[in-house]
Amino acid sequence: MPLEEHAKSARAPVPVPDLIFPRQTLVSLLVFAVCWEALSHLAPALGIPPFAIPSLVRIAKSVVDITPIDVTVTLARVIGALIVSFVLGVCLAMAMYRSQSLDDYLHPMIRILMAVPVVSWILFAVLWFPGVEFRIGFVLVVVCGPVFLVDSLDAMRSVPRELRHMIQSFRPTTLQYFIKLMLPAIVPSIFTSWKVNISLAIRVVTIAELVGAVTGIGHQLSVAQELFSVADVFAWTLVLVVLLFMLEAIVARVEARLLRWRP
Amino acid sequence: MTVAPMSGPPPIEVRGLRKVFRQTTSGQSVVAIDRLDLTISPREVVAIVGQTGCGKSTFFDLAIGLEAPTEGSILIGNKSPHSDFDHFRGKIATVFQQDRLLPWRSALDNARLPLELIGLPEAEQRERALTWLNRLGLGQFTNAYPHELSGGMRQRVAIARAFSVQPDILLADEAFGHLDEVTAAELRETFLALARECGSTAILITHQLEEAISVGDRIVVFGKAAKVLADIHVAQWRKSEYATLREAIQATLQNNEADLRLSRF
Repeated sequence: MPLEEHAKSARAPVPVPDLIFPRQTLVSLLVFAVCWEALSHLAPALGIPPFAIPSLVRIAKSVVDITPIDVTVTLARVIGALIVSFVLGVCLAMAMYRSQSLDDYLHPMIRILMAVPVVSWILFAVLWFPGVEFRIGFVLVVVCGPVFLVDSLDAMRSVPRELRHMIQSFRPTTLQYFIKLMLPAIVPSIFTSWKVNISLAIRVVTIAELVGAVTGIGHQLSVAQELFSVADVFAWTLVLVVLLFMLEAIVARVEARLLRWRP
Repeated sequence: MTVAPMSGPPPIEVRGLRKVFRQTTSGQSVVAIDRLDLTISPREVVAIVGQTGCGKSTFFDLAIGLEAPTEGSILIGNKSPHSDFDHFRGKIATVFQQDRLLPWRSALDNARLPLELIGLPEAEQRERALTWLNRLGLGQFTNAYPHELSGGMRQRVAIARAFSVQPDILLADEAFGHLDEVTAAELRETFLALARECGSTAILITHQLEEAISVGDRIVVFGKAAKVLADIHVAQWRKSEYATLREAIQATLQNNEADLRLSRF
């Protein structure tokens, strides 16, 4: 390729992923809504209690009644816990990468932590900690932290030997080695971990909020269940799904921006 | 952290250098380098040639300090590149067979990497990296990422990265071997001119005899386990004799002993 063409293509704008729903998605959602609405009207004739399948209008009313404070609280818990999990996970991964003996000791423990079911963590948290916020934070960090740790450690170990060799030949300090090579090299894996953990955290926070919390989406779901309000359960679930999509979209945007160097 | 000013590159003294590797699978020991003695004078351009597996790359790793000798020593100005690792920050630079550019950094940011490591102010880093990229004909591509550049251009960035610190010692491991002949010849010439201009001592590891003859002041021919089969001062040969020289080195490599034609000086 001639040099001028090379120069032009080298400055081509970076494509950003399209976040607008494609037509197929809209069609399938529309079909689902029509079927739901039809079923809600047919429910009495089919012997199903009317509250079990509320109409779209009833659900829309529940959506309008959503309290933003609960959404904000849940969102804050998720983001706060994810940031703490991320920092702890990556720092521990760096320490384990540097020290084989630390890795030998911690690795089995991490595997055990990852095998413990979320429900068990919630029960432990309820039994161990009096504070609701701490309980929820603990459960989220103990579930999401190991994912960040394991993914980061694997990514560090996958950095090509040639690149490690190259940077070592220029004699970096340990801190420079991580800042200039390791951390940028694991960014793609970190984004994958964030996507996995956002979905995980949204599900875990809901369960954790069911136990003892007085605010948050999980608490509101619990209230809706006590009131036998399927419309409210549906509305809060919808909020959770939208929240998940929004967070994923933000991560995708940041990912596209930070990984624009990829071919 | 700044580069200590030096009057010139120090000599490289290799004495009784031995490197033994233990194979992890079989547990057997492999002698990669067996009691190598070699002296390289300041500002000399030395090409080390040898067949695959003769210990050239092990010598390269020992010279840049990434490996420790099993026995013997390699000293650069009385300091070991392995034991005194930090002392050589900004003083030794390398060019590898593949460009080994960091894919997330632009050409400019790759070229200034060693300058960041020695802690130069950012403006100076940019200025020096830009100067070297311009000198290597990449002034238009400073913001391009490695995947947007051709193989030859990427290797130019790697050379700019090495020269940006104006090192005392330059080591190149098969740096031009993977390029087409025209690009390789062009880059070889540029590399040599820049090394001479910087006053650096340069060690080129290569298996290409043409490259060794065209670049080196000296050609050191390695046999098995880095045994020095021949140590040739190229200036003692006329250009018209280069074909004979090449044949003699070829014969030396094939027979694992110095060809008689090389012992005339």
